[in-house]
Formats: sequence, structure tokens, C-alpha cells
Amino acid sequence: MEQLHTLWMSTGLANFEGGQIIMMLVGCGLLFLAIAKNFEPLLLLPMGFGAILTNIPVAGFSEIGGLLHYVYYVGIDTGIFPLLIFMGVGAMTDFGALIANPKTLFLGAAAQFGIFATLFGAIALNAVPGFEFSLQDASAIAIIGGADGPTAIFLASKLAPDLLGAIAVAAYSYMALVPIIQPPIMKLFTNEQERKIEMAQLRHVTKVEKIIFPLAVLLMAIFFLPAATPLVGMFCLGNLMRECGVVDRLSSTAQNELINIVTIFLGLGVGSKLSADAFLNVETLGILALGAVAFSIGTASGVLMAKLMNKLSKEQVNPLIGAAGVSAVPMAARVANKVGLEANPHNFLLMHAMGPNVAGVLGSAVAAGILLALVGQ
Amino acid sequence: MESLSQLFIEAGTLMLAGMVFVFAFLGILVIIINTVLKPLANKYPDPVAQAVTRPTINKTAGSDGVSPSVVAAISAAISQYRQKHKE
Repeated sequence: MEQLHTLWMSTGLANFEGGQIIMMLVGCGLLFLAIAKNFEPLLLLPMGFGAILTNIPVAGFSEIGGLLHYVYYVGIDTGIFPLLIFMGVGAMTDFGALIANPKTLFLGAAAQFGIFATLFGAIALNAVPGFEFSLQDASAIAIIGGADGPTAIFLASKLAPDLLGAIAVAAYSYMALVPIIQPPIMKLFTNEQERKIEMAQLRHVTKVEKIIFPLAVLLMAIFFLPAATPLVGMFCLGNLMRECGVVDRLSSTAQNELINIVTIFLGLGVGSKLSADAFLNVETLGILALGAVAFSIGTASGVLMAKLMNKLSKEQVNPLIGAAGVSAVPMAARVANKVGLEANPHNFLLMHAMGPNVAGVLGSAVAAGILLALVGQ
Repeated sequence: MESLSQLFIEAGTLMLAGMVFVFAFLGILVIIINTVLKPLANKYPDPVAQAVTRPTINKTAGSDGVSPSVVAAISAAISQYRQKHKE
């Protein structure tokens, strides 16, 4: 009888707590979004599964000695995984469109207003009872507006590790929702005539330029914002490997095998943070709401900046490409292209939108560096 | 409540400083692209010239502007035809 009782007590059924069941359902929800809806499946699938594993009673995945505990501490607590991902993203990024039309950097900069405005919004939420965001928390939440998964995870792991799970879920969900969130905002701020604007063909960018560019970016980060050099440095390393043409093997590893391996563990590690006590609270709801606000403001400010640019510059600028300034490469650029095609079926904006798109990646890395430098200990 | 207003001021400064810095950083990058990269591109253009000349070399080797792959295909077909008709 004693043994039967011990056996029963070692089953999952006897040890389930309500919170764990709910979090497992949240994990299943993420799996559903990944598999059935194809929402950022590469990250949401391991993340959802990690959420299920970490909430298994008795097994202790996220306690000391558990697999997910070590995955988290090795890769995410240290910031290594998001940085490796960033190297892979660098190896996948072609700065050609940006170098050909450098003023699109300003669109990438304008879209970062989403981050800083949300920072303000997160602090404002403190007026509502139940919310208590410190400046660190608010910064980590605001970076969701950068629409850049690895940057958000990197910053959250440094500034607000407790909120990491919610922030990562929000960041990746909204990135997947870019095609739904952005078009209404883009249409709100532009008229039919502006959406029809065709842009001049981009000039050819030489190999020398593409090789010098990442080095120039790194040099600037070294001079002006060393706090951003982990992100910018890894990004530039990946990009240099891609463009220099002599280490194709390394470049291919960074953008394929390595980034895939790291993505599995990054997803699992983030999933391990989806425990009931950290996720099931009113703050998570606040984070989800703020994330949507951040995305919308970023999109709007990018579009408005592009409108201003169209007024000021000699060449015509289609305001739609400003929306691509919120990184989310290459989804945001595709959305700009699609909305442009709706207005004018002969207007292909994809290459023009890639400029602000990759500028947004740099912009959010710089913004993350600023937040780290100003509010990080 | 005082701490909240203090937080607001801090967030406001952060917003202002952040946006100014992001614009300054990327603005300097625009200047670098325009003043350093563009002249570099003019000085060291991509070796497109070679890529264009290579087919012309091939042309002369392949005689009368027929590319070697076409020559190879034709000669393979001829030899196959001859072999068939020997038997």
C-alpha cells in the first residue's frame, strides 16, 4: 500500500498544479500558431515545446540540474545565443539597397521612435494599479518595438530577465503579425497618390563598398556606443564573412547550420521562462498591449518620416517604404511591396524597402545599446 | 506618486536622448557612405569588365561566335550518329 502511494505520488497527475496546466496550454497555443498558422515557426515551435517541458511536474527541467536550466544559463543569461543569431542574421543581410540609397537610414532611425515612445507608455502604465515597471523593465519591454527578436531577447536578458518569456513571446508574435498590423497603419497615413509613387532604380553597389560598410559601422559603434558593440560587432562579423568572398564556408555555416542549432536552443531556453508564476500575471497582458503599441508607433513614424523625405528630397520617395524601418527583415519590406502593388500593379518597392528594413536592424541595435548604456547597471 | 513623476522625467529624457542619438549615429553613417564609400566605388569598380570579356575570349576560342558548350553538344551528337550508322 505504501509503495502504491509512492508510485502515485511520482506521477504527473498527482503533482499537477493549475498554473502548470494553463502554461502547458499556452505552450500548445504557441505550437498551434507555429504549425497551423505558420507564425515564426522556427522559434515558436521550440519555444512552445520548451514551455510544455518546463511545466512538467516532478521532472524539474528548469531547476538546477535540469536541461532547460542549463540551456538558459549557458546561452541566454550570458547573452551568447542571441548574439550568435545576430551573427547569422548579419551573414544573411545584404546592405546593397541601403548603400545605394543611404538616406533610407533615416527611415530606419525614425521607426525606432516606436521603442522610445513605448518606454514612456510602459512607465505610464505604472499609474494603473497592479503594474510596477522599473525603468529597466520598461526599456526591455519597449525594445519589442524594434521588431528584432534577438535584440529583444538580448536586452531583456540583461535588463529584465523575469519578463523575458513574455517579451520574447510578444516580440515574435508581433513579428509574425506584421502583415496584419502594418497595412492599416500604412494606409491611414498615406493617400492613394503617394502609394503610387514609383522610385528611381537603385545604383549598382560594388564589392569594395560592401566590404568596407560593416567595418565602418563597427568603427562607429566602437567610437560612439561601445555598449552596442556585442550586437553590432557580431552582426558586422557575419556580414563581413558574407561580403568578403573568401570565407564562404564560414558564412554559409553562420547563416545555416549554426543559426539553426542556436535557434533550437534559444527557443527552448526562452520557453523555459514560460512558467506560471512568471507569465500568468497582469504584467504579461500589459507587455502584450505595449508591444502592439510599439509596433504601430514605429510603423507610423517610419511612414511619416518617408513622407517628409518625399517632400524635401529631389528624388521621389514612396512613403510606404518607411514602414519597413521597423526591421522585421524581410517581412516588413514584403508588406511595403505588397501594399505598393495594390495601389499600382507595376510598382515594385521590394528593393527600395530593403534599405530602410536593414537600416531598422542597425537602428534597433543602436537603440538597444543606448538603453543598455543608460539604464543598465 | 513623486517617484512616478520622476520616472516620467527619466523616461522623457531617455526618449529624447535616444532618438537624438539614433539619428546622429545613422546620420553620420549616411555621411560616411556618401563621402567614403561612394568615391571608393568609383575608384575600385567591380571587375565587371572581366566578366564581360570572358565570353568574348570563349567566342574566339569557339570560332565564329559559337559557344564551346554548343560545339560540344553538336560533336557529341555527330559521334553518336556515326556510331549508330556504323553498326
